[in-house]
Amino acid sequence: MTFARLKKGGLIAAAIATLLAGPAFAKVTVLGWPGGPEEAALRAAADTYNAKPDVSDDNKVELLFFNRDGFWDKLQADLAAGSAAFDVNLLATYSIGRYAPFMEPVELSGEAKDVYGDQVLTTMQYEGKQFGVPTDLSLHFMYYRKDLIDALLKDDAAKAKYAEIAEKHLGKKLEPKNPDEWTWDDYAATALYFTQAVNPDSPTRYGTVLQLKNLLFNMMVFQSLPRAYGGNWMDDAGKITVDSEAYRKGLETYKMLYDAGATPRDSLSYEFAEANAAYASGQVAAMVQWNAAASELMSKEKSPVVGEVTEAIAPPAGPEGRFTHIHGLGFGLNKNAANKEGAKAFITWLSSKEAALVYARNSGAPALTPDVVKDVAAERPDLVKLGEFAGKYGYVMNGGTSAKALSVYELQAKEFTGYWSGQQSLDDALKNTEKGMAELLK
Amino acid sequence: MTTKTHRSPVSEFRLLTMPLVVFLLVFLGFPAIVNLVYSVSSVSFETLRSPEITGFGNFADVWRDGTFWRASWFSFRFGLLTAILECALGLFLAIFLAPLIERRSWLMAILMLPLMVAPALVGLMYRLVLHEFAGPVPYYLWAWFGASLSFLGPGSAFWTLVTVETLQWTPFAFLLFYMAYQAIPREIVEASAMDGARYRHRLWYIELPLMMPTIVVALLIRFIDGFRVFDNVYVLTGSGPGGSTASLSIYIYEAFFKQGAIGKAVAASVVLFIASFVVLYGLNAIAARRKGAAR
Repeated sequence: MTFARLKKGGLIAAAIATLLAGPAFAKVTVLGWPGGPEEAALRAAADTYNAKPDVSDDNKVELLFFNRDGFWDKLQADLAAGSAAFDVNLLATYSIGRYAPFMEPVELSGEAKDVYGDQVLTTMQYEGKQFGVPTDLSLHFMYYRKDLIDALLKDDAAKAKYAEIAEKHLGKKLEPKNPDEWTWDDYAATALYFTQAVNPDSPTRYGTVLQLKNLLFNMMVFQSLPRAYGGNWMDDAGKITVDSEAYRKGLETYKMLYDAGATPRDSLSYEFAEANAAYASGQVAAMVQWNAAASELMSKEKSPVVGEVTEAIAPPAGPEGRFTHIHGLGFGLNKNAANKEGAKAFITWLSSKEAALVYARNSGAPALTPDVVKDVAAERPDLVKLGEFAGKYGYVMNGGTSAKALSVYELQAKEFTGYWSGQQSLDDALKNTEKGMAELLK
Repeated sequence: MTTKTHRSPVSEFRLLTMPLVVFLLVFLGFPAIVNLVYSVSSVSFETLRSPEITGFGNFADVWRDGTFWRASWFSFRFGLLTAILECALGLFLAIFLAPLIERRSWLMAILMLPLMVAPALVGLMYRLVLHEFAGPVPYYLWAWFGASLSFLGPGSAFWTLVTVETLQWTPFAFLLFYMAYQAIPREIVEASAMDGARYRHRLWYIELPLMMPTIVVALLIRFIDGFRVFDNVYVLTGSGPGGSTASLSIYIYEAFFKQGAIGKAVAASVVLFIASFVVLYGLNAIAARRKGAAR
């Protein structure tokens, strides 16, 4: 073998070794949620952490991103295969139980409780143990057209028409109210009043827009209605309690609104983006939607028709109170982490007040306690509402962080959309859901 | 003096086919065996490396699952309808556009454009096009008629999906038929014309019989493709309200990843494999018999 050949072979071997050893250069590798505000916030937090003088070169953070499509499935496959390609990984409330066997509980900083509050910390707990730092929180707002509601509240003839519609469809006379005082019946009556199929004089084509696609995230939006009537997935003894008056009320309300034409006929294929487009068109009076839509729907530039006249409040109340479904994205520790100590140190720092404020100032959506959020209130007024609603109205269903939580949402999505689309009865939908959930959550 | 070693044709054949055999064993044989093991096991993501053999319970679960049969029926109807529509349209275009394309070959490139787009993107595109508040189709329907169809509602989603699939894949059938049409010997067509055969007779008795093998192959390919549809359906409607637009591929995907029912998902795929094998074996046997009868 000539020297030239030897040299060429050596170079190729070195190149291959470099490629294969790529991940080994990472000090603490963090797998994040790609694209969007979460990535920007994580990058800023990592830069801040790496710039700290007490963080050694061996413990600096490097970021890794998959594609969003199929993210959770790929993560599951990687964790199940014992991958050490990342030390810290993203996790979500509804999937903690699914990933917990491949992760380790974490220790948060002493400040975490004061920064996030107990309610928010539960979104990253499983079987009583803390599995992550709740960096981004999602909950739901009731978005409504202030101009339309104000006009309704001032008009006696409109009020009479409203009461007539409420009596016909809901069986009771209702008066228009300020949205912050709405019950779910008030919301339904308002949705019907602003529907041209029900009230030809309505200024909007639809009173509301429901996201009814067979999709687990849509079930999260729906849950707050039955919850306000006392609904829960299971009782403290572990008995599934979905076949209840609370769920019947919720499912029937949605069905009544769909059948009355108060939501677009294609709502059964609608999710986040479609619902936003419908609302932003100016043809919808009110809707329950994720807090993430606030920046789009309440911006004059992004939604010229409704941006200036849209208000966001917590979802309506029921006999049990007012609720908003919360779930969070956060960061936890991979059981097979190559640099476990470095990863633990980063996670502890990430749960501190300093990290939370950096994260918040750079597009993240942490739900912070009033004492902490005031430091960023001027730059991020939306976070004030997020933290307030999470603390006052936030809830996680019993079993909502279990290993099969994701499958429960999937099951509900299939069965409930089957009822809303008229393919099965309410009794069958609830019976099938209860049977499936008993199997999943046993 | 050199010595030559002579290998028998059989050993040469074995030697040359060895890489293919190794490839098939590694990339098809191994996963197939793993799938067979999983299909008779209790297995989850936590126990992928140590599945517990439990017998045929997964197959029984699949057999008893109404959603599986519903998905099978959806896939069969969808595959059959789209295959027939695509081939009928493709054949029509190939025969009637042939003279035009002969003179303007650039038209072929335009007609092939839908094939260049990934099915998932086609799904996304139609999600936008058919959206009541953002799409051009409902916009004009509202403007002209004061109402719009519910394209993705429970009653119409199936037909919308069939239309989207047909629009995307008709060019594929068209391409096959156009090539087959061009390959018909001109002298036969000219001779029949000399003998006084009219256009419809030439089409019915000469051209279509000569194109028949291509038509059968196109129908089969399009049926298989339609039967295993996933991307555009998943993007447009997901599995549909109550699972009404779940194809078998979507059923298997959701059972595997969404429900974590790995054994059940793999058992369903084994059932699908056996059913496909039986159908293809049957078709092969019929073709062989017809070939024998023709000799």
